[in-house]
Amino acid sequence: MLAKLRAPGWYRAGLFTLAAIAFAYVLVGIVRSAMHFPNAWDDGDAITIVSLIAVPLFVLVGIGCFDYWFYWVSGRPTRPEDHSAHGAQSWKDYFRVNTDHKVIGIQYVCTSFFFLFVGGLLAMLMRAELAQPGMQFVSSEQFNGLFSVHAALLIFLFVIPVFAGLANFVIPLMIGAPDMAFPRLNALSFWMLPLAGLLMVGSFLAPGGSFATGWTAYAPLSTTMPLGQLFFTIGVQFAGASSIATALNFLVTIITMRAPGMSFFRMPLLVWANFSTSLLVVIATPFIAASQFFVLLDRALGFQFFNAFVGAGKDGSVLMYQHVFWFYSHPAVYIMMLPGFGIISEIISVKSRKPIFGYRMMAFSLIAIVILGFTVWAHHMFVSGMQSWIRIPMMITTAIIAVPTGIKIFSWLATLWRGVLHLDTPMLFALGFLTTFTCGGISGVMLAMIPFDIHVSDTYFIVAHIHYVLFGGSLFTIFAGVYYWFPKMTGRMYDERLGKLHFWATFVFFNLTFAPMHVIGVQGMPRRVADYAQQFAGMNLAISIASFLLGLSMLVFLYNMVVSWRLGPRAAANPWRALTLEWQVSSPPPIFNFDAVPTVVGGPYEYGIPGAVHGIFQSPAEAKPMPAGSVATSPTTE
Amino acid sequence: MEASAASLHAGAGAHVEHEHHGPPEAHRSSRVEPQLLGMLLFIISEVMVFGAFFTAYFFIRVVDASPWPAHGTELPKIIAGFNTAILLSSSVTVHWALEGVKRGNRFALKAGMLTTFFLGATFLFVQINEYVHIGFAPSNSAQASIFFGLTGLHGAHVFIGLCLLAFVNVRAFRGHFSPEQHRGVEVPGIYWHFVDVMWVIVYTTVYLL
Repeated sequence: MLAKLRAPGWYRAGLFTLAAIAFAYVLVGIVRSAMHFPNAWDDGDAITIVSLIAVPLFVLVGIGCFDYWFYWVSGRPTRPEDHSAHGAQSWKDYFRVNTDHKVIGIQYVCTSFFFLFVGGLLAMLMRAELAQPGMQFVSSEQFNGLFSVHAALLIFLFVIPVFAGLANFVIPLMIGAPDMAFPRLNALSFWMLPLAGLLMVGSFLAPGGSFATGWTAYAPLSTTMPLGQLFFTIGVQFAGASSIATALNFLVTIITMRAPGMSFFRMPLLVWANFSTSLLVVIATPFIAASQFFVLLDRALGFQFFNAFVGAGKDGSVLMYQHVFWFYSHPAVYIMMLPGFGIISEIISVKSRKPIFGYRMMAFSLIAIVILGFTVWAHHMFVSGMQSWIRIPMMITTAIIAVPTGIKIFSWLATLWRGVLHLDTPMLFALGFLTTFTCGGISGVMLAMIPFDIHVSDTYFIVAHIHYVLFGGSLFTIFAGVYYWFPKMTGRMYDERLGKLHFWATFVFFNLTFAPMHVIGVQGMPRRVADYAQQFAGMNLAISIASFLLGLSMLVFLYNMVVSWRLGPRAAANPWRALTLEWQVSSPPPIFNFDAVPTVVGGPYEYGIPGAVHGIFQSPAEAKPMPAGSVATSPTTE
Repeated sequence: MEASAASLHAGAGAHVEHEHHGPPEAHRSSRVEPQLLGMLLFIISEVMVFGAFFTAYFFIRVVDASPWPAHGTELPKIIAGFNTAILLSSSVTVHWALEGVKRGNRFALKAGMLTTFFLGATFLFVQINEYVHIGFAPSNSAQASIFFGLTGLHGAHVFIGLCLLAFVNVRAFRGHFSPEQHRGVEVPGIYWHFVDVMWVIVYTTVYLL
């Protein structure tokens, strides 16, 4: 038992949790005594806040994320050649600190899908409450909590990390690298994530209820809320740190570890997409960290950043929160979309057996979105009372950012043009994405127009728009990606019939749920309110019924994934006849990806070109004279 | 611990041998060292954290045109100026240590690293002392919050930098690093230079302007 408590793992993590709470108790007691505060030793609020920060850190140490580094910094011998923390032999290895990017990728995807289902259930509860006017199941405070936790979970614990998870699995394989650049940092950034999620879900247990300020947590509302708010404030720090560390890891991996011959313009577009996303994360995410630091300091230590009350004489600024917050959170919507663009580029090219249309423009439009993404944040603040001269420039840039996105949409359409379409589940989701995301994009341009935006601010039109781009956009690409790489990740095939059922149910009920919200939004139904006027009753009942059916369709997906992973037929190495490198190794890939690093001799999307090869498993010297003689898939003549 | 760890590694070693002999060497597609690039990207991220705090400063001081510093308060420019000199000189010593290890001069490495550490610690000590005697608290006004926020954020970075310097010191005194392998000195050194440069900006905007 003692050995178990000393070796890295869950027992030690449990012990360290207790140690963290004791640490918080003592620290708060000592500091408050030193400051001569009354009741120095029994301030539950302060102890909880310090525990919220200390417990995740101690748990990370307990499960062993830092063990190697502790050896390193104390100058004791480390074992750089020891790969004991690499690869998974049984399902238990997925619950340990693991440095294998493939294991971490699967850990990421499963964790984030767990939070998708939690967040989805919260949405079902909201729709139950909204099925009829009046108050039925929850109080208005609880309703505020439901939509806040729903949004925070799905943004910070689902969409952002699930893309990081898919990329974690696929990108080192795609660029011909044995692993990520910093495998231990990779493990650390994964393990911060479930802790952040547990903090956010755990806020329901806090006295005063969960955080209830929306995922935007506007100050000074958030600085005057009960304790549950701090679970969000601190949870976001961990989710943000996780995503910065992963982004940094991706950037370094993509820049320094590409296979010989893989120039930047021979990288698959998924790699490009994650490269640009990672740039966004590294530059923008610190802003939300800072905004939540401000809230934490105001709420916990009595700072006055946001105390702008007339007569208080504190000179605080409320608008400052919104500027800092949206300077992250607008780029964040591209963080939640660009990796999806990459997935769609892969799938549409492979499934229509055609080279991607306008490869370079696809790559440049990603970079254009990264740059323009930093110039549009104040379009979230048209009704905030900010200086009115900022509005017009922000309207113009917001309209302009639709251009690179439009370039991508038309390039995908041109790729489909006269292709030989294979309408299986990943492709269906990709095509579904094209339609729903285009609708969401169009309502986005509508929202860029100041007069219209003022009219529909804080109505269900916004809810419809965000779900068309995040559910119909991001989530559809995630489903497409999960189905597409499922054979590679698990070594088994999913059930195609159930997959198609899942797609059609999701696509139909998604539109039935969210399309009517445009209408009731324009008519003026406010969002984030548990009750509504009688005139919206019929529409809301229909929306609620559709949303429950949408929820049911997710069970088809869950069943398909779980059963296929255990019992599905063995997958071939390259079931889609794709050219990119991850399909040229076995399914699932060997523990170190490649026996020898492959050499890239052509573009990644040369489908339908006789003799086209992307990568071969020979050293660059042998490779040059005979690019066609390879172990890559036989080229098609479709 | 030793016994269990040893048996764990023995078992793991067996299965690794059974599976594979090890990963293939990754191809290096860039002349930049991964560790160096990682640190530079991390510094970009850190610059943005400071950027957000400076945004707060900008909104309070410039957009809202609130008096700076708040009425009836004064910032100790002179003491902070001496402190700036202390921190800047530590950048010189950390560079001396790096040049030392590159030439195989272990004395320069150890002395430079130790001096840097103590200069940094002195800076932090003076800063905390300044907080104690400054005569206002963060709860007094938004300006005070910004002052404590910006200098405190920088202080936290000095603390992280001191931790990194402590690690380098431990390893240096245990005989690590050589003219061929000095990345463990170089990368924390870059971070330390970043902390110094950031202080010059904080000092200029918060105290002098």
